[in-house]
Amino acid sequence: MRYVVPLAAVAVWLFADLATADAPTVAIQLFQFAPSPVAVEAGARVTWTNRDDIEHTVTAGEPDRRTGRFDLRLPGPGASESVTFTERGVYPYFCDRHRSMRGEIRVN
Amino acid sequence: MRGIGAKSMAVAAVVVAISACTTTNGGTASSPSTMPAMGTSQTKAAGLRAGLNNLLREHVYLAGAATGAALAGRDAEFKAAAAALDANSVAVAGAIGSVYGAGAEQAFLPLWRRHIGFVVDYTVGVATNDRGKQDRAVNDLIGYTQDFGAFLQSANPNLPKAVVADLVKHHVVTLKAVIDAQGTKDPVKAFTAIRAAAEHMQMIADPLAEAIVKQFPDRFRG
Ligand SMILES: [Cu+2]
Repeated sequence: MRYVVPLAAVAVWLFADLATADAPTVAIQLFQFAPSPVAVEAGARVTWTNRDDIEHTVTAGEPDRRTGRFDLRLPGPGASESVTFTERGVYPYFCDRHRSMRGEIRVN
Repeated sequence: MRGIGAKSMAVAAVVVAISACTTTNGGTASSPSTMPAMGTSQTKAAGLRAGLNNLLREHVYLAGAATGAALAGRDAEFKAAAAALDANSVAVAGAIGSVYGAGAEQAFLPLWRRHIGFVVDYTVGVATNDRGKQDRAVNDLIGYTQDFGAFLQSANPNLPKAVVADLVKHHVVTLKAVIDAQGTKDPVKAFTAIRAAAEHMQMIADPLAEAIVKQFPDRFRG
């Protein structure tokens, strides 16, 4: 009986971890992508939600080296867009309106 | 969050130390018994308000020094003024960071520097008599006020985006008047305008301080 509670807690933690890894979300708030970097498994669908009252973008690559893989426009608060990452790799991204805003998705 | 707390404590301590010095200097002529309200100027909230007012007024005077030197073709002076202005920008971002954390500070600094870039564009437009460049810079600055308002509204719900944007727009207008006067080589007008522009910063600094204290009453108590 001693181990029931800790094991249950571990099971809940594992399940929760898998659940979030399956559909990770990134908030765009106070001109920051959070969390970042985000590690996901191949096939994961990542969703960005804008919490600022201004347009932000989620643009693949870096300002002087765009990859063209994705370019999401999130015009205002509550706007939400997703990208499915099927291939392993590191995917940096930025906001095209505020180019110092940077984020990264790592697909394992 | 622990780091942020320590940092804000440090800033608050500096601010309190500065205001304590001021009150001590101003109060030496009077006996303590005649100054029952002396402690009120030493509150953390008063320190925050004074600190923000100082930083934002300094921003105007250094910006005016930089644009004035640029328009007069005094290159070394322009570079020195621009460097001092950027040090002020770093300090403004530091003040934001002391309240909202390192992430906010890092996000704020490039946003703040951006409006200085547009002011430089406008100044170059005046120097070269390029009306199109001036208009584009003014449009960029007006658009920027929305971004700046959105940032502060996200940081603090007591600062509505539209209100902040309008205040920053007035900052743009008053600073533009300084540059225009400098461009026409009218020093009397330029210095009158720079005092007006600096005074206007209180319209931003005071509500900003008020909103921060309202948001974190415990941190600014006493
Ligand atoms: Cu953005």
